[in-house]
Amino acid sequence: MSFLAPLFLLGGAAIAAPILFHLIRRTSKEKQPFSSLMFLQPSPPRVTKRSRLENLLLLLLRCAVLALLALGFARPFIPKPVEVSNDPNAGRKIVVMVDASASMKREGIWGQARERVGDVLAGVGRADRVALYVFDRTVRRLVSFEQWSQRSEGQRISLAEEQLAGVSPSWAGTRLGNALISAVEALEEADSEDSAAQWGGAREIVLVSDLQDGADLDAIQAYEWPEGVGLRVEPIKAAKSTNAGLQLVAERSDGPRSQEGQGPRVRISNAADSQREQFQVGWVSGDSSDFLGSAADAYVPPGQSRVVQLPKAPSGVKDARIRLTGDDETFDNTVWRVEPKAQTVPVFYLGSESETDLEQPLFYLKRAFQESKLEKIEVVARPAETPVAEVDLERSRLVVAARALVGGEAATLKAFAQRGGTVLVLLKSADDAAVIGALTGGAFPKTEEAKVSQYAMLGEIDFEHPLFAPFADPRFSDFTKIRFWKRRKLDFEALADARVIARFDDDDPAVTEISLGQGMLLVLSAGWHPADSVLARSSKFVPLMYALLENSGAIRAQVSQVSVGDEIAIDAGPGGKPVRIVKPDGATVEVGAGVKFADTDQPGVYTTMVGEATRQFAVNLAPGESRTAAIDVEDLPVRGASVSAPELTPEQSEARKRLLLKSQLESQQKLWRWLVIAALLALIAESFVAGRLTRPAAG
Amino acid sequence: MAATKDTSEAPAAKAPAGSLIDPQALMAIKNLEMRAQIVVQGFWNGIHRSPYHGFSVEFTEYRQYVPGDDTRYLDWKLYARSDRAYIKKFEDETNLRCHLIVDNSKSMDFGTVGYTKAEYANTLAATLAQFLFQQGDGVGALTFDDQIREYLPARNRTGHLRHLMLALERPAGGSETNLRLPLQRIAQIVRKRGMMVIISDLLAPLEDLERDLIALTACGHEVMIFQIYDPVEMTLNLEHSSIYLDVETDQELYIDPDFARKSYLKKFAEHNEAVAAICNKLGVGLHLYQSERPLELALFDFMRDRAERVKKAKGGSGTRK
Repeated sequence: MSFLAPLFLLGGAAIAAPILFHLIRRTSKEKQPFSSLMFLQPSPPRVTKRSRLENLLLLLLRCAVLALLALGFARPFIPKPVEVSNDPNAGRKIVVMVDASASMKREGIWGQARERVGDVLAGVGRADRVALYVFDRTVRRLVSFEQWSQRSEGQRISLAEEQLAGVSPSWAGTRLGNALISAVEALEEADSEDSAAQWGGAREIVLVSDLQDGADLDAIQAYEWPEGVGLRVEPIKAAKSTNAGLQLVAERSDGPRSQEGQGPRVRISNAADSQREQFQVGWVSGDSSDFLGSAADAYVPPGQSRVVQLPKAPSGVKDARIRLTGDDETFDNTVWRVEPKAQTVPVFYLGSESETDLEQPLFYLKRAFQESKLEKIEVVARPAETPVAEVDLERSRLVVAARALVGGEAATLKAFAQRGGTVLVLLKSADDAAVIGALTGGAFPKTEEAKVSQYAMLGEIDFEHPLFAPFADPRFSDFTKIRFWKRRKLDFEALADARVIARFDDDDPAVTEISLGQGMLLVLSAGWHPADSVLARSSKFVPLMYALLENSGAIRAQVSQVSVGDEIAIDAGPGGKPVRIVKPDGATVEVGAGVKFADTDQPGVYTTMVGEATRQFAVNLAPGESRTAAIDVEDLPVRGASVSAPELTPEQSEARKRLLLKSQLESQQKLWRWLVIAALLALIAESFVAGRLTRPAAG
Repeated sequence: MAATKDTSEAPAAKAPAGSLIDPQALMAIKNLEMRAQIVVQGFWNGIHRSPYHGFSVEFTEYRQYVPGDDTRYLDWKLYARSDRAYIKKFEDETNLRCHLIVDNSKSMDFGTVGYTKAEYANTLAATLAQFLFQQGDGVGALTFDDQIREYLPARNRTGHLRHLMLALERPAGGSETNLRLPLQRIAQIVRKRGMMVIISDLLAPLEDLERDLIALTACGHEVMIFQIYDPVEMTLNLEHSSIYLDVETDQELYIDPDFARKSYLKKFAEHNEAVAAICNKLGVGLHLYQSERPLELALFDFMRDRAERVKKAKGGSGTRK
């Protein structure tokens, strides 16, 4: 057996301590009273004779604990004969990470980076192995260690250079932390695959990057940099340093409509090492550099940012975008914006009453929905004379049925619900229950007018259901003020799919959900109009109606800002048709329903097409890419990494190889774990034995 | 003169061991008076089987009248009540005045057998008091440490025993042992000849002991000493080495019992021999008592000692006055 850290065996000398303590007669720090010491002389501490060793088992256990711990710390392993190559040039393993993020698009930078990579490769020895990676948000491998080794010596550099020539900086942001971790993993993976002969070479990461301030280093903050991996940074410097970036200030989708003529707000961030402070920002058409209308002037000191209010995009201009001028670098000077379109969401109300009749549900429904910047909810009343047709419901997700269905309405609504729509059946009278029967296919719940003495309240509410989820907080869950004067008694026992969401205080269903295909049927056993209840006039009504709309899918949260590389969920609409997406460069991508679109690889306006409906969204550069001032290499939070791997003498290399071999064997066998477990067991036994020994004395 | 006896090892009285009360059980009783009553009761019960029966000359005893007895000693009152003739023996002769001098110093507040030496000494004193009181003797008590704590003169009145018990029951809280002051005082106070029973561990320098005892014996008092030790004090069978604190002087010493035992026992024996030599010289009855020893045996010792003294007195100077 050999040891990785034999010095720890010296810790075994600590065994002497318990032996000595057992030999020294037990002395207590407590003072014992005695009647008179007049006949006594002080005695010196005494070591008992060997034959007087007390509590041998306890002593053995204590010694065992110390011995096992010392042994465990010494990291023992059983050596196996492995031939270690004596070739001093066993070679380094080098991972070259090349930054290909948007900030590398700056003038002259990418060329410099390629040259620098060429220099690094030229300095690589015969036995060295190299892997080449590029990174932005993601990491891509261009040349692996294996590919490098397989090529003959003369072809290796050309292979790497060829691969790098096929790459140009992308528009994506920089995740430097992730890239460095990937590089370390690549080295470790290569180590684990190596044969014994290849052990021991130095491991090095060469980072070729502009190291811009906006690079994301979060991932590496908590990462423990492995021992023996050197990091060499080859920083690339831009010829010109003034750079300001442009970013849209997020707008609230549910905010009020902006004032007439007021456009978006943009944030201008000036890099810390900029030479200039004066910039202009305004609307342009396409790639033209002329501003449409007047441009806004912005004074931004280096390292700071300012928010500028822009006018509305000029109407009638195709491909309008916001541009910044006044700095040296243009890659981050354009922002695309799609004017949020107020979406009209039709909600059909099947009922014959007048919109102005205060006594009827329609009056309240129409007033429940506020028009916002992004949504306009239109309540369309359909009396029996103008039945709702299939074509009407194409854009709608919610229908409120408050009358008997006529003509083909039953089939239309059923198909609508099957596609994913929501039908709310409002039982103004017991006869309206026929609608449920018509939609569920004949199973007609027995319905009658319930006898209400004074009033009924909602008793049991399922706050986990999306309809009532907004009220789950105890501050809002008080429904006792909503009183029902009249209601209908339904018997849903015949319907297997029926799920009662809320009940009246006498246990009768108040709100019931019945699944129909992909959609659902909701039954409200009483109306919200004053004749039935005070629901419409309560503070719960509007949130309840919005919850209903959201649950039906008619309105949804919209993503306001998308950066290059972000994934977006695209609403495929009812029916789950595939979505076609036209990218800014004209390329078309098709994604299936429910699949997230991740191919946002360039900034610009993307158009989604679902059937005939088209929608647009803008993708912009990650804001961090504009912060182009370089980070100090010393500030890289890579603890324990030498900036450059030290050169090893052949002897050192040999010793290192042997050490690595030993530690590899040791880490495979992990004998220390068993020793620590054994030490713990011995410690438990020691506690037990000591407890047994002291108990009678204490008693 | 009375011989000095070490009664600590072999049972002094040959009373059957089964009839003796275990001091451990006895000390579990809280009330001192009850403890004393139990011991005395046990002693009376046992005395009929005891080989020492009839040794006592000084306690009041009724004996059935047999023809030839002096009718002066007939108890007429009893005869009137029970119609039986009893001789009241030696009543006039047994007007003994006994003073119990009990050490309450801190060294007595030590014990390893479940109770302290002071508790044992107090019970012993109470037992003697109860016994003597029952016989009609006058009993007094004096408790001391480095000075006199309580003093009750020797009487045999109703209620006196109760006061005596209360005085003995007060907890030991004194400081060091100083025999000199109480012995001098009692010699001054008690003018009539009587009996002095000293109950102490005598763990104090012995320079003045002889002189103080002479002061007592010179007054004609009969002196008897019950020297009380805890078993550990006699063997130094301490469990482990530790720092030991002298409860009287607050002196601290690290003691390894195994190491110190030999010299301790030697000095201890020397001390006791010195005490015994003084007692022997002065005719003081000395009884070495371990606090584990049944208390009835103290009564036997007391009685035997008295009997021997009486015998010697009769043999020497005729009848007692």
